[in-house]
Amino acid sequence: MSNVCEDHVFSKVFKTHSKTVFNYIFYKFGNEEKAHDAVQEAFVKLWQNCAKVSPEKAKSYVYTIANNLYLNVIKAEKVRLKHADSLVKDRTNESPEFLMEEKEYKEKLDNALNALPENQRTTFLLNRIDGKKYAEIAEMEGVSIKAIEKRMHLALKSLREHIDGI
Amino acid sequence: MQENYLAKWLSGELSEEELREFENSREFASYQKLKDASSKLKAPDFDTEKALQRLKKEHIDNAPKVISLNPFKKFLRVAAVIAILLAGSYFYVNTLNEKVTTEYAERSEVILPDNSEIFLNADSQVSFNKKNWDNKRNVDLKGEAFFKVAKGKKFTVSTKHGTVAVLGTQFNVENRKGFFEVTCYEGLVSVTYNNKETKLPAGTSFLIINGKIVDVGRPNGTLPSWMNNESSFESIPLKYVFAELERQFNIKVSSKNIDENLLFTGSFNNTDLNMALKSISTPSKTRYKIEGDNVLFYAGNTQQ
Repeated sequence: MSNVCEDHVFSKVFKTHSKTVFNYIFYKFGNEEKAHDAVQEAFVKLWQNCAKVSPEKAKSYVYTIANNLYLNVIKAEKVRLKHADSLVKDRTNESPEFLMEEKEYKEKLDNALNALPENQRTTFLLNRIDGKKYAEIAEMEGVSIKAIEKRMHLALKSLREHIDGI
Repeated sequence: MQENYLAKWLSGELSEEELREFENSREFASYQKLKDASSKLKAPDFDTEKALQRLKKEHIDNAPKVISLNPFKKFLRVAAVIAILLAGSYFYVNTLNEKVTTEYAERSEVILPDNSEIFLNADSQVSFNKKNWDNKRNVDLKGEAFFKVAKGKKFTVSTKHGTVAVLGTQFNVENRKGFFEVTCYEGLVSVTYNNKETKLPAGTSFLIINGKIVDVGRPNGTLPSWMNNESSFESIPLKYVFAELERQFNIKVSSKNIDENLLFTGSFNNTDLNMALKSISTPSKTRYKIEGDNVLFYAGNTQQ
């Protein structure tokens, strides 16, 4: 039987989930340093309690620890995301107007994301960037899938309204 | 349109009919653009390998896991302590000397591990190490005892006044306050007194009274007289005679108008007090009076 106390099991759990923990905290608070710390704290706790946490439970255990860590403690900052610009590079003969439009759109999207409530933004980004299914996000957040779908729906609606200037 | 259709559209859960309806809506282009743009978003860089190294270096290697001992280990610890205490007390008890003590008017006999015998006169004590007996035949003596020593290694009797060493013999050691007498009945006895060794052949005595060597005659018989319930004295100051009388009968002896340093020669019976008192008073020309456990000796010419 595999045990989280075994080094190779622990390392595997870390490699599988640490980035998502990092992103999860970053989407919530927009603070990279705190996100790095959250990863360390969550996995140290997991290591200390490795005998009590089965490998199957390890995933939700670290999300819970990370989530509880900064509960209402730190103020959300601006979430600064990178934009992959492969789209632009593919088409080398885009008009300057188009490029300008693209740039404007990215800024609008960034602003719209920062304007979202924390839980909608986290849900939206976990799905769009990390490709998490609604069920997974529901597990991480400890709410129903329906609640996640509602957050997603509202997030899309707000983003579009914000971007289209409605 | 169903509830949360935007979420369903993103996850591809809309029915064909719903999808067609949505695609024909005014906002669809905006949503499609949002979907495309958001799929190209990226989170800040996160180096998993580096984070894992940091975790191991800062937290795991330096802070060892706390592994609670299981209750059985706790039990083992308690059991180990008890075992150590038991073993320790066993060895401690083993090193303690065997001790035999007699009270006033009491006698005792002790058989040593090599079948040597010790007969203890009244108010005496011997102690010896039973475990180590084969290596060291030593007896500590307070009071008086007669020894029948089996042949073997050197046998020593340690007293406050001096030590008596023999190989195998029969001898008596009397060691009282200010009085030390060794009488050899068989074999050869070596007495060390004040670092001076004296050899006692059979049928001789060695007597020290108040630190002075006193010449004594040859002992009678092959046993000390007390072994036959008689206390014998030859030119012994009266105070030692009275002291012996006290020991043999468990009484308190006092005197009045008598010089206790007068030498007494004679003996008394250790079983009959009246006979014993007469045996002392007649040759010493004294009288006596009994009051319960007290006996008073007084000079014959004393007015009562």
